[in-house]
Amino acid sequence: MSALSRRAVTSTFLRSFLVQGSWNYHTMLGTGFAWAMLPGLRRIFEGDPEGLDASVRRHLDHFNAHPYLANVALGAALRLEADGTDEQTVRRFKTAVRGPLGGLGDSLVWAAWLPTVSMAALTLWWLGLPVWLVVGLFLVVYNAGHLALRIWGFRIGLRDGRDVALTLSEARLAQLGERIKSIAALLVGVLAGVVLAGREGLSDAGPLWIVPAVVCFVAGLKIGHRAWRPAAVATVTAIALIAWWGVLL
Amino acid sequence: MELALVALLGGVLALDGTSVGQFMLSRPVVAGALTGWMLGDPALGLLIGTLLELYLLVSFPSGGARFPEGTTATVVAVATAVASDTAGALPIAIAVGLLWGQVGGFSITALRKANGFIVPEPADSRADSARVATAHLGAVGLDFLRGALITGTGVAIGRMLVARVGASWPLGQRESLALILVGAAVSVGILLHDLGGFRHRRVLFAAGFALGIVGVRFL
Repeated sequence: MSALSRRAVTSTFLRSFLVQGSWNYHTMLGTGFAWAMLPGLRRIFEGDPEGLDASVRRHLDHFNAHPYLANVALGAALRLEADGTDEQTVRRFKTAVRGPLGGLGDSLVWAAWLPTVSMAALTLWWLGLPVWLVVGLFLVVYNAGHLALRIWGFRIGLRDGRDVALTLSEARLAQLGERIKSIAALLVGVLAGVVLAGREGLSDAGPLWIVPAVVCFVAGLKIGHRAWRPAAVATVTAIALIAWWGVLL
Repeated sequence: MELALVALLGGVLALDGTSVGQFMLSRPVVAGALTGWMLGDPALGLLIGTLLELYLLVSFPSGGARFPEGTTATVVAVATAVASDTAGALPIAIAVGLLWGQVGGFSITALRKANGFIVPEPADSRADSARVATAHLGAVGLDFLRGALITGTGVAIGRMLVARVGASWPLGQRESLALILVGAAVSVGILLHDLGGFRHRRVLFAAGFALGIVGVRFL
């Protein structure tokens, strides 16, 4: 790691925020990964432009992970390059970690953290909190977790290199995700209660509206994501028909 | 001028969806409030953002999945609703937003296909650091243009629609809101399904539900 300056490391970390900028179905995060690595690689291959280009091409390969946890691979790959690790080992490492970093990140962030903070914000709005407070709390709380995960991932990757898998398993992120999901389940209930009984809620419009809402809720619960599109289409169609009826009246 | 500013806002916020940062400025609840602030009605912006957030709670940019784009949908919906003070402005804006979310989703898929042609091949011996940087930042620029274009087009169509049929909307505001909430209840069900299902989470869900009802009474 001696080849890496603080500036190169910081610059690579900051570039990680754009790692998905050229997401494509061919190499997925590959180009973004190589682009984020550039400040570190430039430092490592200082005075060796051919070595730099060869190294950049290595990192253009297909790579995919959750954008926040991609920092683990980014830090570790930088460490491996700085240590002069051979090309095949770097490739094998990236291939080995991309699946777990994707699955773990999706489960922890997209399926647990984001819906939990979103539901908390929605509940606060329904309880009558001012606009700036709802939006401010959502952004501060969500991004506290977001930035902590990015910084931690990059640091353990840079520190442990290819041994980072052990640190990841010891961090018990899957268990943390499960705990957050329990809070989310509680908040789904709170949100349902508030939307039903709160200001501008369903009961405001009359008890008849509660019946179709329960039917929709149960449909989502039973069918899962396949229920989303029909519900959205039905809502849009209903609004279009009512608007048309209004024009005819 | 206002349309251009809203389109620019849509382009900037759409970047946050995938390409830059993912600080969740792109979520409907934030995008709605920001658009509302920009157009002079933050409360209406947050109301629309909240309603669309309820629908899109289960939509997130995971891997290669095709997902409705909540950002441009919300900016379009808020800019549509703010332009009219008729009874139909809110439901029509939500309908336009839900439709435009799909259009935005298709445009993201198209951009990702186009990016495949822009980025250098790993096996290409001409691929150097300068080409990688140009391709990557060029793709980010394209995403901004995509967001701005989708937003601008959506707002123009949405405002035209609400100007034509907004005034003849036959339902009151409470009923309109209830109609939107009925559809959104599906997402709440899907979320509980994703969190392990009713059987697994029934105690927490029931406790939360009771807390919500009681909380509303006392707050």
